[in-house]
Amino acid sequence: MPDWQELVRQRLTGLELDAAEREEVQMELAAHLEESYGRFLQQGLTEKEASHRTIEQVSDWQELRRKIDAAKRREQPMKKRTQQLWIPGFLTLILSVVALATLQKSGWQPHIASTAPNTIFFFVPWLLLLPFLGAFGAYVSSRAGGSRGSALLASCFPVPALTGAFLSMFPIGMIIEWVRGSQGDFSKVGATLLKDGVGWLLFPGVALLAGGLLRQLLFGQRSASPNATIR
Amino acid sequence: MIGSGIKRGTAELAVLSVLQDGPLHGYELARRIEQQTNGALRFTLAALYPMLYRMEQQRWIRGSWETSANGRKRRCYRLTPAGKQKLSPLRREWAELFRALQRLTKVEHA
Repeated sequence: MPDWQELVRQRLTGLELDAAEREEVQMELAAHLEESYGRFLQQGLTEKEASHRTIEQVSDWQELRRKIDAAKRREQPMKKRTQQLWIPGFLTLILSVVALATLQKSGWQPHIASTAPNTIFFFVPWLLLLPFLGAFGAYVSSRAGGSRGSALLASCFPVPALTGAFLSMFPIGMIIEWVRGSQGDFSKVGATLLKDGVGWLLFPGVALLAGGLLRQLLFGQRSASPNATIR
Repeated sequence: MIGSGIKRGTAELAVLSVLQDGPLHGYELARRIEQQTNGALRFTLAALYPMLYRMEQQRWIRGSWETSANGRKRRCYRLTPAGKQKLSPLRREWAELFRALQRLTKVEHA
């Protein structure tokens, strides 16, 4: 019986994988060839014929090596994630911020929902614009082949990004208070963060997500064409 | 015999569908697909493994080394929760495509 392990090792030289992974691939392919060979013998083929039929399964070993390298390449899922989540997400974030800045520059004033000390600001024109931006984020993600989850996450991406920024303000604020020598009031800072969170995170988040959801419900099926699975 | 272009597109669906019944190693997986499709879908080693590795990278399947009763070490593939999730829309899409082709070509059994 041919030494399948050795044959695979010789023919698959140049695999761009780490040593352990290369060894695994070689072992797996050798096991497959051995199994094929055994099956051909069971079918009544001579050893020579069985060897020939087994090796025949791979017409171009260098092509197989390239395909394995491409399939195992680590960057692929990362690249996909970038196209399906990070790019549409950041686009939504940038457009949301630009829209807010433009509206403020044009003289639109935020709407005050309640009186001090629990004042919550609502930027109504911005909130009305956000569903469209959310839908746009979901559209870009879907176009890149993103799942429904990725599309929805991309549509409301500004929320986790801004939440991170808001939450980082809490310890920074406390440090500033401490440096200035004044007693930090946790409850005051907490209350401020909470009410700002409602006005600047919760409602915008709902508006963005509503746009993303609506886009997915109306056009999600159409973009999921079988072409995505044909290579 | 089905043409190679269509075969490539259906390959992932075939692998996911067969693995739904339980974990299998590469050779057995190819044999099972061939048997269940009456030889219409056949995978050579060169076609099978790059696809399995790609599907593993996409986290639809997971491979792990197992030792069989006769002491042979084999890499067995099983469906992941993501693979299970992928399967139903994939089935729906292909059923839709075949229905559309059926309507288009007016063939009774496409």
